[in-house]
Amino acid sequence: MVSNRFVLKRLLLLIPVLFGVATVVFAILHLSPGDPALTIAGERASQEFVNEVRSNLGLDDPLWQQYVRFLGDVATLDLGQSYQVNRGTPVSTILADRLPITIELALLGELAGLLFGLPLGILSAVKQDTWADHLTRVGALSGISVPIYWSGPLLILLFAQFLGLLPTSGRIGSEFFIEPVTGFILVDTLLAGNMAAFQSAVVHLLLPVVVLGIYQMALLSRMMRSSMVEVIRQDYMRTARAKGQGSKITVMKHGLRNAFIPVITVIGIQFGSLLGGAVLTETVFEINGIGTLLVDAINRSDYPVVQGTVLVFAVLYTLVNLVVDITYSVFDPRIEQ
Amino acid sequence: MSTETQSGTVERSIVERLRASPFLSQLLSNRLAVTGIVIIVAVVVLAVYARLTFNLSDLLATQFGTNPSEAAPSMAYPFGTDGQARDIFPRVLYGAWYAVLYGTVTVAASTALGVGLGIVAAYYGDLTDNLIMRTMDVLLSFPSLLLALALVTIFPEELGLWRAVAALTLVYTPRFARVVRGAALKVLEDEYTDATKALGATDPRLLIRHILPNCLAPITVQSTLNYGLAIIDIAALSFLGFGASPGEPTWGMMLSNGVEFGLFSGAWWWSFFPGLLLALTVLGFNLLGDGMRDALDPRMRETVD
Repeated sequence: MVSNRFVLKRLLLLIPVLFGVATVVFAILHLSPGDPALTIAGERASQEFVNEVRSNLGLDDPLWQQYVRFLGDVATLDLGQSYQVNRGTPVSTILADRLPITIELALLGELAGLLFGLPLGILSAVKQDTWADHLTRVGALSGISVPIYWSGPLLILLFAQFLGLLPTSGRIGSEFFIEPVTGFILVDTLLAGNMAAFQSAVVHLLLPVVVLGIYQMALLSRMMRSSMVEVIRQDYMRTARAKGQGSKITVMKHGLRNAFIPVITVIGIQFGSLLGGAVLTETVFEINGIGTLLVDAINRSDYPVVQGTVLVFAVLYTLVNLVVDITYSVFDPRIEQ
Repeated sequence: MSTETQSGTVERSIVERLRASPFLSQLLSNRLAVTGIVIIVAVVVLAVYARLTFNLSDLLATQFGTNPSEAAPSMAYPFGTDGQARDIFPRVLYGAWYAVLYGTVTVAASTALGVGLGIVAAYYGDLTDNLIMRTMDVLLSFPSLLLALALVTIFPEELGLWRAVAALTLVYTPRFARVVRGAALKVLEDEYTDATKALGATDPRLLIRHILPNCLAPITVQSTLNYGLAIIDIAALSFLGFGASPGEPTWGMMLSNGVEFGLFSGAWWWSFFPGLLLALTVLGFNLLGDGMRDALDPRMRETVD
């Protein structure tokens, strides 16, 4: 079992990392060219007004004061206000609206990747060096080589434009308005009991999940294969077979649990690529998650939103890896030392 | 025996070792890795050919009047023409030059930075090690494409695609630093390091002549795997609007324009061919990187992010 001490230690280690992350975000924003005061005041504003805006924002304070204030704000979850979106909307509100959309997409993409990637990887390892193995490996390598921003549009062209089976973009049909409760559209449509809206949401998600899932599937099947190949060679597997167990049962009972251990870590590490993929997927399919939010905010020099979004992405990534580390220690208690 | 001949003997024996290297023979017996090498060589040849043959300003200029606009692929225009009536074929070839050039600079810069930091961290240990590696940890706690997106904004827009190169260099450096530090620590444990120190080798000499060569294998694998990633990420940044300037014949830009203006009006070839070449090139590097890793150590796990 996982000891509380281990979890506590990992949580404490989180503090310096988050502190570092906040520092990097602060540094990036302050190194960016462009004057936020000018952005807010507008190009044609008088110099006095620009100066007034600047001092209201505290941008003429010494850098260290701004830094300390920033850390304080972040610690109290105050991410400032957007320069652009309905001028003055708190960044945390915008993020809370958009985040569930991205998480929904990312989770389903990861799930699709696991569902297909793990069995393929196991198959590939068990049938090592057969045509099935070669096919899976080449397929997986192709899967990580094809950019989402190429496969996505091509799939839209095929399934939406030519075959007319699926919608081209967006997250749900424009005729539906669903009161956000959880923010997860699939859940909210079900809560509202609106089956037509739910169906529309599912249909809109199909292609994005496939595009995002292919990449994850490719990565996971590679990882699962190499881990499984390693495990099959181990002595305890031979012993199990020698005891007279069928090779299928051996693989299932003894192999999987051990082969999963490195795969779990990799799921954590790859969560970063999943989030990056989600940003590209959202752009391709015009989905209003935090990926498109970030890209728009950078384009409009909306610094507080850029800052908040990047911070949230990093925290999400770090937390997922924390959970992964703890899960890992459940599978392999030796890790705690 | 003078020291000169001594080091000569050592060098010769390294060359001999490489010749009889199980690494190379194993790599070359791997059909997938050889396919990767063939693809990479073909792309590099195309890139150099395009750079020497085509005039960039001709490729940038609109060609209304000379060519039909958005013409489907044909004998005259193998990859069709785009919305500015430009022939897509030479533009896609020129894109190979951009990919090779910017990809190489990104990988070379992040390798150099990462190797330097990793070796210094391993060798000096203590505070230096902590300072360097904790900074790397922080950089690694951002999803890579998102950190690159945020970093792109700190470089002036005039730099164009070099902004993407600079941002991605910073993003990739920590991975190299980690790999190299690990390898260097192993080398430092070996007895020959103590022996060299005892013989009076200076720190820089020890680092460059003795520790670095022994870390080359993991560095090479990591670089190759990162090459494909660099090319795909540079194109991704262009696709999202950060990097190449409009009309520039990079694969990312052509893809972005083709999807935005051509795909749904029927001109699928506008984005299809740049994307195809991009995917093939990345596949080439992944095939080679994969083969190298297997040849080096079948148990070595990848850390693709």
